[in-house]
Amino acid sequence: MKKFVNDPANFVKEMFEGIYLANKDKLKWVPEYNILYRADLPKDKVVVMQGSGSGHEPAHSMVVGPGMLDACCPGNIFAAPPMDYVYECTKLIANDKGVLHLINNYQGDRMAWDMAREMAEADGIKIGVVIIDDDVSVTNSLYTVGRRGVAGNFFVIKAVGAAAAKGKSLEELVALGEKVNKNVRSMGIALSSCTPPAKGAPIFDIGDDEIEIGIGIHGEPGRRRDKIRSASEIIEEVFTAVHDDIPFQKGDRVAIMVNGMGGTPISELYLLYGLAAKKAEAKGLTIVKNYVGNYCTSLEMQGFSLTLLKLDSEIESLLNEPAEIPIRVF
Amino acid sequence: MDKLSQQQVELIVRTMAETAIKNEAYFSELDAVMGDADFGVSLAGGFKAVLAQWDKFDMSSIGSFLLSVSKEITGNTGGCSGPVWGTLFMRCGMAFKGKADVSLDEIIAAFKSAIEGIMKRGGAQIGDKTLIDALDAIVKSFEKSVADNTPLLEAFRKASDAAVEMRETTKDWVAKRGRQSFTGDRSIGTYDPGIVAIGDMSKAIVAALS
Repeated sequence: MKKFVNDPANFVKEMFEGIYLANKDKLKWVPEYNILYRADLPKDKVVVMQGSGSGHEPAHSMVVGPGMLDACCPGNIFAAPPMDYVYECTKLIANDKGVLHLINNYQGDRMAWDMAREMAEADGIKIGVVIIDDDVSVTNSLYTVGRRGVAGNFFVIKAVGAAAAKGKSLEELVALGEKVNKNVRSMGIALSSCTPPAKGAPIFDIGDDEIEIGIGIHGEPGRRRDKIRSASEIIEEVFTAVHDDIPFQKGDRVAIMVNGMGGTPISELYLLYGLAAKKAEAKGLTIVKNYVGNYCTSLEMQGFSLTLLKLDSEIESLLNEPAEIPIRVF
Repeated sequence: MDKLSQQQVELIVRTMAETAIKNEAYFSELDAVMGDADFGVSLAGGFKAVLAQWDKFDMSSIGSFLLSVSKEITGNTGGCSGPVWGTLFMRCGMAFKGKADVSLDEIIAAFKSAIEGIMKRGGAQIGDKTLIDALDAIVKSFEKSVADNTPLLEAFRKASDAAVEMRETTKDWVAKRGRQSFTGDRSIGTYDPGIVAIGDMSKAIVAALS
């Protein structure tokens, strides 16, 4: 394994330190509980937080900012945050309007967040919960209690983040989050495995000529192992799986995301986007917004996921609202 | 009927921790028969953290103490044992908030709340061959002791016997939850490590309280 790392056990902590030092004016950092939160934490609106494991950056630690998350408290690489991370983060950011928990659907996350919610509610904090489970590839897998939450979480965060900034109530935000989740579908493909620093070895084996169809963002198996094929053939299968799941219909207005898993160059992601966009048009979908890049990764895994989101006027306008996160080009 | 003091509750938790640490290898071996062989290591990890942080716990009441324990257990116990065992201490901690001592009736109510919490957390039911069955046996024994006006220590002894008995009673059941359930009928004839752990801890608690 070759990585830019000191003590692998401190990998996540040192990453957080980097995010913090790059954004000292905008973020505050609580190293003990892996909490990053907005330095200008609002008191007059519902606050939104997400946890999940680390290793999916920019989700979720790098999407804290106005119009997105107010705080995050991820666990270690690919590990749900321990209950006390969630509880402490909830207490830290809580106000009278309430706290919204956005949870990706994995057993460990569900249990940790459930406990933290119970403890915070006993302290008198008002909490709303949205569970995200957009992955169409499998109905259940190693760490899940149903479908997995993957790249579609970006759209839930963006929509509820914008709506929270506009002063929507906790109940309205829960309903909105559930609506976005109900209308978003994703599926991923891996060309290679990835190596968590503390493990020091790839988390699964895959041949030079093989791909995993329906890969999870922690390297969990998907639908099947297959031989590498042309990009067009791969898009054909992934697009069909995602499209047919809701199913999307001719005339739908959609947002489409080609998300990199961390190790695939942006050139390949745009190549895939072009193919997916043409498929969408052929199906009669109107692409209103597109997203191409690394949104929800799996360390250095080579691969991508395709996400389709069915828009209504509310979701569409929320996606267009301004937001600001630590990652920036300019 | 007499009550359990905070000092005794602290002794109980310390005894549970020592039992988990002493039996780390044994509990993992039990888990290796049908599960993924990490139960003993996971549980010991959580309780080692409890002992390491002991001096920093909020000892202002039984409730605050148990909530401190819950946080350490949940945060430091690997796998699904963290939330399960953490919930046990959390629900008891919430039930005993602000209390300096607790009656058997209060303990029964706390244990019922803990069982309900664990069932909600992991989806297990009574009869699924999990530690819930051992906790349920303890509750039923406590309820009988309250009805019979049994002295507190004797009630603990009876409950401990009931928990230990569950280990044999459940041996021929099919595991329906947790990693063991993936093996289906092959789990028949094996001990559930969580049930064994509760039984062993109960025995040690009675010895410590005596």
